[in-house]
Amino acid sequence: MTQPQRNAPSLATASLRVFEMSLGEMLWSRRTIFMGLVVGLPVLMALVIRLFDLAGASGIRINNMAVNGPAIFGLMVWAFFVKFSVPVLGVFYGTSLIADEVEDKTITYLFTRPIAREAVLIGKYLAYLACTIFVVLPSIVLVWLLVIPMGGSLGANFLDLIKDLGIVAVGLAVYGAVFAVIGAYFKRPLLIGLAFIFGWETAVLAFPGSFKMLSVAYYLQGLVPHAMPNDSFASMMQAFFQEPPSLTGSLATMAVILVVFLGFAARIVARREYVLEQ
Amino acid sequence: MSPIHDQSYRRYQGDRHPVGHAWRVIAQDGIRQMLAKRAFLALLLFAWIPVIVRLVQMYFATAVPQASGFLAINADTFRDFLEQQSVFVFFMTVYVGAGLIANDRRANALQIYLAKPMLRAEYIGGKLLVLATFLLCVTLVPGWLLLLMQMAFAGNLDFIKANLFLIPAVTLGSLVIVTVSSFTMLALSSLSKSSRFVAIMYTGAIFFSAALYGALSSIFGSTRVAWVSIGANLEQVIDVIFRKAPRYEVPTVICVMVLLALVVVSISVLERRVRGVEVVS
Repeated sequence: MTQPQRNAPSLATASLRVFEMSLGEMLWSRRTIFMGLVVGLPVLMALVIRLFDLAGASGIRINNMAVNGPAIFGLMVWAFFVKFSVPVLGVFYGTSLIADEVEDKTITYLFTRPIAREAVLIGKYLAYLACTIFVVLPSIVLVWLLVIPMGGSLGANFLDLIKDLGIVAVGLAVYGAVFAVIGAYFKRPLLIGLAFIFGWETAVLAFPGSFKMLSVAYYLQGLVPHAMPNDSFASMMQAFFQEPPSLTGSLATMAVILVVFLGFAARIVARREYVLEQ
Repeated sequence: MSPIHDQSYRRYQGDRHPVGHAWRVIAQDGIRQMLAKRAFLALLLFAWIPVIVRLVQMYFATAVPQASGFLAINADTFRDFLEQQSVFVFFMTVYVGAGLIANDRRANALQIYLAKPMLRAEYIGGKLLVLATFLLCVTLVPGWLLLLMQMAFAGNLDFIKANLFLIPAVTLGSLVIVTVSSFTMLALSSLSKSSRFVAIMYTGAIFFSAALYGALSSIFGSTRVAWVSIGANLEQVIDVIFRKAPRYEVPTVICVMVLLALVVVSISVLERRVRGVEVVS
């Protein structure tokens, strides 16, 4: 009796399998504790500010202007999430998608499965995205619930929350794709990733001319004023980004970065021969 | 015919060194390993670019009288130089320090190290010296070099005589940066088996504390909360060392206490984590 021939799973099916396997690994790891700390501290800070406010203390000011909850929320989303958590989580998870398997010498087991090599990267990338979004976005919602009632209304600011969640999700997706390339290509991806976010991106934003267009931060942080709930803070942000890109321009550029870099990372993984150190 | 080697037990024929010298071997080996990496040498060279820039500045300030106004060398130049080097200190700490203990833990080498006639303090001291050596190479060594070159370019000791405090200030300032960075990184390195995780924890500690300070100072409109940031504490202490007005409203004593607490906690973590045998209940 002849066995029916089994076809190799499609790229989508294989990616989904890798996604299912990787999601569990990522969620129940010590990294999630680190991520919890990164996103938990802003929640703690929001709680302290709220208690400070409930105690009747006044004096919460930004640039010597008395501010309300929506403005504080805008500042916290920008300072903690858009400027810090998103790039750091992107570099941490993005660079480790393939580098972890190489370091643990387990990439051989993945590559010997009858699936396209690209599926390994895509599945792991999707797991990273799901894992970070499930942890980061709820913490933003918690900060919003704690801070907005200080002089603002939850209903009136709900749309701004959705915009902020969208910005953070887009940031995680784009940074993850950029660092997936670095992780797939370089031997010491983390240091290069850190140099990119804390060296290159910080420097080019300060350079005159068009240099800033060579960073993800320019497009991502440029989105922030569009979601700012408070006019005064929005104007402050507009002043910081003297020539912010348009909303459509930012989104389109980030979509291109995402597709190009993810495709490039998948191509590297498919073609590269990973030599495991003994 | 190939020789047949005797594989039976043989007594150790080498010299026996008394306990207390092994740290040197660990330090030497660590330094040699880092110097063999081209990427690290590139980073080290890159960290010296500001030194070259400062040397050019010193040359023009003394050789071109027209430039002496806006390129003037004073005590602030040395303080600013040390502050600029903090970027390289960060990258150097991450590159060199992240894997110092984590890689040994990953390879289960800690037990092998501590099975030798060597104290735990020697192991920690050796590892610490690897990181501290390279950090001193980008802070203290160029700082002293700049002082020497300033004297050489000027052709007299007037500048040094007028700013005699710069010699201990550069030394103490560099040592504060190196001590805090080295101990913090080494403690974090002992907490994990993954050097990447260690690197990201250190990055988080430095930049998240800075972001926390930035947000708190904006919200409360005061720099009294600067003690929450590791970087701000270092800046405040070094400002005082260089006899400058402190840039934050927080008392310098508190900054010193925070930095001391960081070092003490790091030593305590190292004491608990660096053990030859891990007893599991």
